[in-house]
Amino acid sequence: MNTIIIVLKKELKDTLRDRRTLISAIIIPALIIPLLLIGVTKLQTSLMKKEGDKKLKIALIGNSENYRAQLEDPGFKIFSNYKVDDAKTAVTNDSLDAIIEFQPDFASNVDSLKSGTMNLYYKSTNLMLYKRVSEKLEMLKTQILDERIKKLNISKETLTAFNVNKVDISTAKEVLGKTIGGFLPYIFIIFCFTACMYPAIDLITGEKEKGTMETLLSSPASRFQILIGKMLTISIVGLSAALMTIVGMVVGLKFLPNIPQDFLATINDMVSAKFLIMLFAMLIPLSIFFAGILSATVIRAKSFKEAQTMVTPMMFVIIIPAMLAMIPGVVLNWQTAFIPILNIALATKQIIAGTINLAMYATIVFSLIAFALLAAFVSYKQFSKESMVLK
Amino acid sequence: MIEVQNVSKQYILSKQQQKELQTNEASVFAVKNVSLTCTPGKVFSLLGANGAGKTTTLRMISTILKPTQGNILVGGESVLDNPEKVRSKIGFLTGSTNLYDRLTPGEIVKYFADLHGMDRAMFEQRKDMLFTRLNIHEFSKKRIAQLSTGMKQKVSIARSMIHNPEIVIFDEPTSGLDVITAYSIIELIKQCRQEGKTIIFSSHIMSEVDLLCDDLAIISKGNLIYADTMANFRNQYAHKSLTEAFIDIVKESGHTIPA
Repeated sequence: MNTIIIVLKKELKDTLRDRRTLISAIIIPALIIPLLLIGVTKLQTSLMKKEGDKKLKIALIGNSENYRAQLEDPGFKIFSNYKVDDAKTAVTNDSLDAIIEFQPDFASNVDSLKSGTMNLYYKSTNLMLYKRVSEKLEMLKTQILDERIKKLNISKETLTAFNVNKVDISTAKEVLGKTIGGFLPYIFIIFCFTACMYPAIDLITGEKEKGTMETLLSSPASRFQILIGKMLTISIVGLSAALMTIVGMVVGLKFLPNIPQDFLATINDMVSAKFLIMLFAMLIPLSIFFAGILSATVIRAKSFKEAQTMVTPMMFVIIIPAMLAMIPGVVLNWQTAFIPILNIALATKQIIAGTINLAMYATIVFSLIAFALLAAFVSYKQFSKESMVLK
Repeated sequence: MIEVQNVSKQYILSKQQQKELQTNEASVFAVKNVSLTCTPGKVFSLLGANGAGKTTTLRMISTILKPTQGNILVGGESVLDNPEKVRSKIGFLTGSTNLYDRLTPGEIVKYFADLHGMDRAMFEQRKDMLFTRLNIHEFSKKRIAQLSTGMKQKVSIARSMIHNPEIVIFDEPTSGLDVITAYSIIELIKQCRQEGKTIIFSSHIMSEVDLLCDDLAIISKGNLIYADTMANFRNQYAHKSLTEAFIDIVKESGHTIPA
C-alpha cells in the first residue's frame, strides 16, 4: 500500500505540473463552462429581445380591407400595395418579413359563417416572427368567433365543451431534473473521460516511449503497485474534472440572467451534501473504470501519437450512452441500471429530481464498482505482458 | 554476486513479425543458453554488437524480462522466485538519459529512495554524497526538461545508486556524453569496484572496457561466444587491440562482419 501511495504522490505531482492536464481537468470545466453557459444564455436572450422588438414588415394581399384595422400593431408595418410574386421575392431577399394572403372568398366565407382561408408566407429562420404574427391572427380569429356567437345568439360556453385547468404539481426539483438532469451528466461524463485521456497517455505510453518505464520496473515496486498508482492518479484527475464541471455548471446556472427565484433555490438545494455524496459514490468507480479502459488501451501504443489515435474513437463509445440518457423515454430501470455510463447519467437525473429508488441506486454503484474492477483487471493483465511495457 | 545459469529468452513470433524478420521460424531466441558469473569487487564487461542480446540479458538480470529457460541468482536471490528482493539489491542504469521532465533531480532521487524504502537520514546522507560527487547540487532544483544530456545522465546515475545497491548494472552509461561527464561516470564505476560492489558494464566504447574491465564476456546472436578474465584475454590476444580481438572472436563464431 505504501508503495502505491509513493507512486501516486509522484504521479500526481508530475501530472499537476502538466499544462495540458490542468487545462482539460480544471481550467476548462471551472471557468469555460460557466462563462459559456452565461454567455450563450445572455446572447440568446439578447437575440430574442432584438427579434421581439423588431418592427415586422408585413404585406397584406387580397381583400383585406375589413381586417386591416384588427391586424394593425405597433410592432408591425403593414403594406397593402404588393402583388403575391413581388412580395414573395421581397420576403426571400429580406425586405419584407411576412405576407398574409387572403383568399378571394375569405370575406364571403367568413360572413356566411364558413371558414375563410389565408396563406401566411414567412421564413422559419426568422425566430420570433411566426409567434408574433400568429398571436395577432389568433386575436382576429377570436374576434370573428365572438361576432358569430353574438350573431347566432348563443352563449360562448355552448361552443366550449369543457375547460382544462392545467395544474403542474411537479416540484421545481423535478423540473430542474428534467431540464438540466440530462445535460449535466452528459457534460461531466465527457469531461471526466477527456481529463483521464492525457494523464493515461502521459503516465503509461509516455513513460514507455521515453524509456523511464524500464527504470521504474527495475525498482522494488511491483507491476501491480505501479499500475494501481498510475490508475489512481488518472482517476483523481478525471474525478476532479467531473467535479469541477458540476461546480462550473452550478455557478453558471446561478449567475444566469433572469433566473426565477424558486429555480435558484432549487439549485442551492441540489448542491446538498446528500447530492454530492451520492454523485461522488458513482463518480469514483466511473473514473476508475475510465482509467482502467484507457490504461489497457494506451499500454498497447508505442508512441504518444499512436496512443492518441487509439483513444480518440473511444470518445464516441462514451458519448453514445451519455447521449441516450437525454432521449425522452429512456428511463432508469433494472436493465439500464447495468449499462455503464447510461446508468450514471439516468441516476443523476433522478437524484436531481429527488425521485431515485435507493435499491436501484445501490445496484448502479455496485455495478460501476464491478466494471471498474474488471477494467483494472484487464489493464493489469496487459501491464503484466513484457511486450506491452517495453518499447 | 550474479550467477546466470543456462539462461534463454525465446520470443514467439506473430505472422506479422515473421514477415518483418523474413523468417518461417515460429520463434526466435534473443538469448540462448547463456551462463555467466559476476563476482563482487570486479567489473564484468558484457560486449556484443547491436541486437546481440546484451540488453535482453541485463533486463533478465534486473527482472524486467523473465527468462524462458534457466535461472539467475542475484545476491543469492532467484529472479524467478523473488524478483522484488532482486530489484531491491540492484541499481540499473540504462543508456537512455530520459527522466521525468517535470520533476527536479532532487524529486526524482527522492522518488526512487522512497521506492527502496530508505529512511530520511540515510537518504539525505546518500543524496548529499552522490550530488557532491556528480556535481548535481548546482542544478538540483531545476526541472529535468531544462538540463543538458550530461546533467540528465548524472541524475540517472544518482537515481540508480541512491539506495547503495550491492549490484550495479550499467548499460552503455556513457553513450552520447561529453568527455568530462563520461570521465566522472568511469570514476564512479571505479569507486563502486573499490566498495566491493558487483558491477556489470555493457559498452561499445572499447577504451572504457579496457580501462575498467576485470572479467569479460562476448555475446553474438544471443549466444555466449567468449567468457574469461581480462588478464587471460589480454594474454590470449596480446598482439591485438581490444577492438581487433573482439572482431576476431565474433568472426570465429560465424558472425559475418562487413569489410
